[in-house]
Amino acid sequence: MPRINFFLVTVFTVISFYGFSQTESLYNSYTIPLDLKANANAVVRFEEKVVEILDYDKINVKEKRIVTILNEYGKKHANALEFYDALRDIKEMRVYIYNASGEEIKKIKEKDFIDASAVSDISIYEDDRVKYLKYVPQSYPYTIEYTSEVVYNSTAFFPGWQPIGGYYVGIEHSEYKIINSAKIELKTKKENFDAFDIEELSDKHFIANKIQGIKYEAYTPELNNLVPRYKVALKKFNMVGVEGVNNNWSDFGKWMYDRLLTGTDAIPQSTVDEVKQLTAGIDNKIERAKKVYKYMQNKTRYISIQVGIGGWKPMMAKDVDKLGYADCKGLTNYTKALLEAVNVPSYYTVVYGGNGIRNIDSEFSAIEGNHVILCVPNENENIFLECTSQTSPFGFTAGFTDDRDVLLVKPEGGEIVHTKVYEADDSVQKTIANVYMDDTGGFKAEVNITTTGYQYNLHKGIENETTRDQQLHYTEYWANINNISIDNITVNNDLDHIVYEENVKLSSRNYASKSGSRLIFQPNMFNKVTKIPPRYNNRKLEFKIDRSFKDVDEFIIQLPENLKIEAMAEGKTIDSKFGKYDFKLEAIDGNKIKYTRTYILNKGNYQKQDYKAFRDFRKQIVKHDKTKIVLIKA
Amino acid sequence: MKYLLLTIITVFTITQVNAQNYNFGKVSKAELEEKWHPTDSSASAAILYKKEHVNFFFDESRGFMQRREIQFRIKIYNKDGFDWATKKVYLYKGQKDESISGLKGFSYNLEGSKIKKDKLSSDGKFKEDYNDYLKINSFTMPNVKQGTVIEYKYTINSPRIGIDDFVLQYNIPINKLDVKVATPQYYIYNSQLNPRAKFIPKLNKTTQQVSVPFDYKIDMIDINEENVPALNAEAYAGNINNYRSGMSMELTAILNAQKVIEKTFSTNWEKVSKTIYDSQNFGGQLGRTSFYKDDLEALLAGANEDFEKAILVENLVKSKVKWNGNYSKYAQKGIRAAYKEGEGNVADINLMVVAMLRSQGVNANPVLISTRNNGIPLFPTREGFNYVICCVQSGDSYMLIDATEKYSTNNVLPQRVLNWRGRLIEAKGVSRWVDIKPNTKSVESTMLNIKINDDFNITGKVSKNLTDYIAYRYRKEYAQATPESHIKALEKDNGNLEISTIDFKNRKDIYKDVKVSYEYNLADAVDEIGDKLYFSPLLFMAMKENPFKLEERQYPIDFIIPYEDKYLINIMLPEGYVLESLPKSEAIAFNDNDVKFVYVAKANGSYLQLKVQLDINNPTVLPKDYKDFKAFFGKIVEKQGEQIVLNKAKP
Repeated sequence: MPRINFFLVTVFTVISFYGFSQTESLYNSYTIPLDLKANANAVVRFEEKVVEILDYDKINVKEKRIVTILNEYGKKHANALEFYDALRDIKEMRVYIYNASGEEIKKIKEKDFIDASAVSDISIYEDDRVKYLKYVPQSYPYTIEYTSEVVYNSTAFFPGWQPIGGYYVGIEHSEYKIINSAKIELKTKKENFDAFDIEELSDKHFIANKIQGIKYEAYTPELNNLVPRYKVALKKFNMVGVEGVNNNWSDFGKWMYDRLLTGTDAIPQSTVDEVKQLTAGIDNKIERAKKVYKYMQNKTRYISIQVGIGGWKPMMAKDVDKLGYADCKGLTNYTKALLEAVNVPSYYTVVYGGNGIRNIDSEFSAIEGNHVILCVPNENENIFLECTSQTSPFGFTAGFTDDRDVLLVKPEGGEIVHTKVYEADDSVQKTIANVYMDDTGGFKAEVNITTTGYQYNLHKGIENETTRDQQLHYTEYWANINNISIDNITVNNDLDHIVYEENVKLSSRNYASKSGSRLIFQPNMFNKVTKIPPRYNNRKLEFKIDRSFKDVDEFIIQLPENLKIEAMAEGKTIDSKFGKYDFKLEAIDGNKIKYTRTYILNKGNYQKQDYKAFRDFRKQIVKHDKTKIVLIKA
Repeated sequence: MKYLLLTIITVFTITQVNAQNYNFGKVSKAELEEKWHPTDSSASAAILYKKEHVNFFFDESRGFMQRREIQFRIKIYNKDGFDWATKKVYLYKGQKDESISGLKGFSYNLEGSKIKKDKLSSDGKFKEDYNDYLKINSFTMPNVKQGTVIEYKYTINSPRIGIDDFVLQYNIPINKLDVKVATPQYYIYNSQLNPRAKFIPKLNKTTQQVSVPFDYKIDMIDINEENVPALNAEAYAGNINNYRSGMSMELTAILNAQKVIEKTFSTNWEKVSKTIYDSQNFGGQLGRTSFYKDDLEALLAGANEDFEKAILVENLVKSKVKWNGNYSKYAQKGIRAAYKEGEGNVADINLMVVAMLRSQGVNANPVLISTRNNGIPLFPTREGFNYVICCVQSGDSYMLIDATEKYSTNNVLPQRVLNWRGRLIEAKGVSRWVDIKPNTKSVESTMLNIKINDDFNITGKVSKNLTDYIAYRYRKEYAQATPESHIKALEKDNGNLEISTIDFKNRKDIYKDVKVSYEYNLADAVDEIGDKLYFSPLLFMAMKENPFKLEERQYPIDFIIPYEDKYLINIMLPEGYVLESLPKSEAIAFNDNDVKFVYVAKANGSYLQLKVQLDINNPTVLPKDYKDFKAFFGKIVEKQGEQIVLNKAKP
């Protein structure tokens, strides 16, 4: 299981205010335009964030926000919190709370905010802290006015603008302005401005007006990619005392290499000798890399420790060698050093890790990513190594770092490349079963499941469970089979070929339901789609299928002698732009039935108009996966 | 002679193997070579040795100080066990500041045939302030791999008299458990083991006389156990900690220098309750009346009945004061401040209800509660209670009120409260037990109308009536939802179902039953095979799978409340079809009607009618009955899946 290190989770916490004279009416919830209340749990009445650049290593962020919280789900949109540390100083934090009709009911000063360590449960150490508001509302709606001022002395992260911070929040007025007093050169990028009502008062001063709340819809791509965003970075910046340059990925990557990586990769001679000996006589560099990767996996473990230049500098490779643990940066850098020792070049690679697919923006260089992996360049295809997992196969990325733009940190500079895409034929689940039915409607079966690619990722890990939990796993996996008992389980995780194989013997009493002299049952026992994506009368957002896959099923069902087929469908083929589905039922010699099924889903970005067709495709599959066979006494 | 020597050697060797050395640093090769745990082969790690020794030493300036010595030796079998190599130690800070000392740790690995030892150094130790009351000392062991044995020890020094609970069971096995508690004569503790645990250790109690720095006796408890099995969580068992082996030490008295009792604490529930009652933050709150007097008088004008007054007061408190999420039996702000500021903890709110009602001459009393996550207390202790509600009595009947939640009503309490029993304290601190779990069944009744259309789509109407806890849960889930999201939630994972025109009555009127009705359209629920139609009559309301998956259980199933779930189904057949077969009517019962299931199907011309009913009369199912119960539930699922068969009518 790869894990994420969130470097710094401050996306849009910081903001400001200059002489905007809002009227009293903004505190009064009754003045919210009706259309902004639709699809909203909260409405940002007024927001202004002013960022003043005082120097390359000093920025001042002032923020004022008036938000009406309409119901309990809207509380999180108050966003009254600040992270801080040695280089981020909170100058001011203040909250006023108003009741529905706009009368002030409470005032909260900075000292009354809750001050806590920002350490997450998975992390053993982080030096971040957070101050946040804890307020118990007496009734809804209420309005909160939040004012803050924060000074950053580390400027690698520059507070940009994203007026729509999430689903179900309406925006009445959101304003953003940069005052570049120090005349530091800036890089900026506007995203999705056209699709919204954004006023551009100057090239660094914007107002978003009257934006309706966005309702969540299933299969929507990352919201961040659909809403207006303004990205900013200083071309000359400071990261915890280290000066940096950032004109493009090439020089920013070079800076990262020089200032964050250089000098961290020394490892003891004894370890060098050990890996050399391990790979002695192996000519092929990939084969050497495999040996070294395995060596690293057996020697280390993942631990989250966020220290060193804002959580960006890896632990020294020699310390990782000594201690046997590190976070993703330390483990990746260590693996890189080990590979170096056996003459396999590799690159430290910054990525957004996660099941959801998120790219490093190839057009805008800035501090990005939440995870680090290692790239081993190879003739036809780059190989990416997950160094935080002790069980991941060599070069396996499906489900966490696959199919996305990532940053290679090379000595000569940064470079954006794309990681491996797992196509339908790479992510296959094949289920083969021999089923023996009895005349009471029960059956015994031997099932063999092999999985590759993304589906491998979904299945693996059963081998480490206790017998009790393995049994539990299969009763849940086949929850559609009532009165199931799992009689035997053998699993094999083939790390070399990246194939997971499961062999399960099971039985069920009364699987087929009786109806007079008939038995009725569904031949698709082992791989049924039962869920239809949610219905939207009027879908608003485009949708996305992240990954392709292919399922192949073949079940041979032996009927008892005294029963014969009364009725049975022949099969069905469905073709659509989203994929292909077909199943077939044949009576074969010896009173047997052969059920075959193939289901392919195609990844892609689709228009909202296509959603209904996608739903229909799935509806059809759910329907045909329930196809029934009627047996009658022979 | 030769043979004799051999025998002696053999015996000697066996003794060597068995005599494990648990002294710090004496990790053996055999421990490092072990590939899996001998009695629990699936364990990802095992505690080879746990030592926890608590004693008190006398400090000239500070009096008795508590010292807790901890030592662990842990074997890591595979990668899932790596988490055991990192430890977070929480310490109290502030007035009762605790400190950690003597933290030492080593990782042991086998390299070839040699044991390699790595020290836990300062780069693996971390400190941080967690919040106003706690700080964390954490550490992570170096060079941990599959097969590693780690060992660490440290001592916590504390000025506290209270002794933290001893954990005697983990989710990995313990091979050797060594617990000692030595307490000075001046502090009297009552030790108690968890009687619900599967594993109950033996206690050896002794005393010892000391003379330095002065004469006093020490009471000692020893636990020396081997092979403590791992604790595995089970679904529907409630809080698994209720079944974890453990020991608590309750302080019952303090003696003065002359060894005469100076102060006593709880020794029975009566005293515990009295002690709590006597606190300013409990009983002390109940006499405060002035600040709400006017509001109450206006509100209660015209109300005569006690229960009527109780409901009015409950609603007043609910509307005026919101719960800040904190549990406690003691008021946090005090009821006056809570009333003024409009927020408070559980005690602020519910003691306020008691105080208000008492001021109006209503017989209202606080009831102490141990919530579900607090578990069931092992013995009389103030910590055994962590929550308080209000009880109103009128004649023989009583009404329980918890005003922290919007949708809870009289005798329908939030689920967190439904644990064990409550301790009711009357005006002078006199107390007694009361039942808090409901003895009336909560009922969900559903009327399902089914019309099969010519295209074999089904249309119809659903009407539901929900009472008590079922109504409470439904309100919690949907009362805030828009009709659109309510529909979405009902459609979710129910096949090709479309719901329209939903009606949700008594959404906010919590003293009435919830009534929900809607119209629906269901496609693909009828199979046309040959000349016949097949469908199962509970449609999308059928239980889709048996929720009980384990082969066997160690702990009881807890349904929490008794309830009844019943369906009346009316089916109109499509034109041109006649009934061929109906599922058989059947009634089955489990364990003398603890749980009952009835299925009745009748035909009447082109109409069919079914009655399906599940009654959970006793919400607790014991592990010994589990296999039967699982089969019983399997039968219900099977029955609900049975098909009605229709045949094309002959012209």
